[in-house]
Amino acid sequence: MIEFKDVWKSFKNVDAVKSVNCKIGDKEIFGLLGPNGAGKTTLIMTMATVYRPTKGEVLVDGHSATTDPDSVKSLIGISFQDPKYDRILSAREILEWHGKVTGVEKSVRDKRIDEVLAKFGLTTEAKKRTWTLSGGTKKKIENAKVFVQRPRIAVFDEPTAYLDVPSRLMVWDMIDELREEGSTVVLATNMMDEADRMSDRIGIMNRGEMVQVGDPSRLKGSLKGRDVIEMQLDSPIPELPAEVSKTDEVREAVYEGDTLKIVLSNGRVLLPYLINVVTAKGGKIQSVNLKEPSLEDVFLYFTGMRLS
Amino acid sequence: MSGRPSTAFVLRVLVERDLRTLVRSPFILINRTIFFLIQLFVFAFLVSKLASSLGFNYFDFYSVGAVVSTITSIAFIIGEDLFEEEELGLLDYLLSLPFGHSLFVIGRALGGAVRGLIYVTPMMVLVAYVDGYFSPVGIAGSLLVIFILATGISGLSITLAMLIRNANRFDILIALAELATVRVSAAIYPLVYIPKALQPVAAYSPVTSASDLVRAIFLPGYTAGIYETVVLVLFVAVFFGLGSAFLFRKIEGGRFE
Repeated sequence: MIEFKDVWKSFKNVDAVKSVNCKIGDKEIFGLLGPNGAGKTTLIMTMATVYRPTKGEVLVDGHSATTDPDSVKSLIGISFQDPKYDRILSAREILEWHGKVTGVEKSVRDKRIDEVLAKFGLTTEAKKRTWTLSGGTKKKIENAKVFVQRPRIAVFDEPTAYLDVPSRLMVWDMIDELREEGSTVVLATNMMDEADRMSDRIGIMNRGEMVQVGDPSRLKGSLKGRDVIEMQLDSPIPELPAEVSKTDEVREAVYEGDTLKIVLSNGRVLLPYLINVVTAKGGKIQSVNLKEPSLEDVFLYFTGMRLS
Repeated sequence: MSGRPSTAFVLRVLVERDLRTLVRSPFILINRTIFFLIQLFVFAFLVSKLASSLGFNYFDFYSVGAVVSTITSIAFIIGEDLFEEEELGLLDYLLSLPFGHSLFVIGRALGGAVRGLIYVTPMMVLVAYVDGYFSPVGIAGSLLVIFILATGISGLSITLAMLIRNANRFDILIALAELATVRVSAAIYPLVYIPKALQPVAAYSPVTSASDLVRAIFLPGYTAGIYETVVLVLFVAVFFGLGSAFLFRKIEGGRFE
């Protein structure tokens, strides 16, 4: 189990992580969802003992990240957001060295490296210096480090960034396999579909705070009674969000391109009224869609901002 | 599942990483070797002729100093590597691995020293040969001396890399540090010819100590012993400690997501 107890991390006068309290259970896939700068990476680095918490404590399987960092590090493997390895070395050399330093026995290591390279379609590129490879391939190698290590706690920071759709699905399957083998997975992402599909529970982070924790369906359910209206307009009229927000039931109104997105309660009842408001302001409506809240809407509700 | 590796194992794999990167970049080795050969067989040969009136063999004196100054400048590279690793964020990865921060500094300093030793071993053997010294035990002893020096210089270089946050300032400081440690020492000229104000500094320099120890092994008429050894060991201990302390400071005060 991973336990964050009132964890703060400050750099000079900036609070990167503020009073995070959270528990992550064994064999759980825990999604950390938040925009860039939300504090996800800092929280991960604090858990991994790279940073020392300014206040509070992180416990990993009962070991304190502050007072017993070596025990904590021996349990954790991290796939970083930006690939972090010696780019002068080849993929095979990187994986060999990572496997070795994290204590994977040679016979097991060699087999795993072959398997992972084959799964990612990297067998023919395994001996090339990695600086010559594409961004997606570099990211696969970063993820491969953790799949070779198979740590007790696997941390993935934006694991599918730069990857095409088949590779993304492959990574998701491999993360699922890791969990089935007994690993706990912490998955930091700013992709809603990834968090929604992969996570048993999601922690929404914003401006250093963990603003909400729950399983995806419960989080969506927390907006019960709330609807989302999407009105596609000919062209956006700037004052419309403010105009529709004058209605008490409207929680949020923003443009996504030419589409006015309104989060509100009693959407079905208010829809005719809102259409009137929009048309009265000169808006030409192309289509209207009334739907249930998505995870993205949940994020908007709790943070007041959208990830995209 | 992964385990918790032993201290000796961690040090070995950290050194192995530095050696893997060395193998992948042989041009630095070729570059330094050519420079060394020119210094020895052109510069030292000519200056030795000019200095013959002083009544001592400058070529022999310089040949040992050239190896010591070469390993000194090679050992400084580890700090540049670390600075680059920090800029690229690679340091975060290395520090997330299952070993302590102090062990990391020791491993990197040893890696820098081993890398330096691989560079200069052929040079040391060549120098022993041209100086007319053929004892394998003595040559091994001289390599041990410069290995200890290189470990301390690597520690100093890591300390500077962790102390300075600006790349330009770091480049200037590392160049000055390298210049000072080699030039303000008795590596390439005898202590008595160094300006009087700098002589006390040069006398306590670990580069002077290492040069004197190797000369005492290779060349008749030179003596060195406990004092020089103590200076070297203290130098290593101080910069291991400072390197660890500043590494911690840099990480904790450094970056923000």
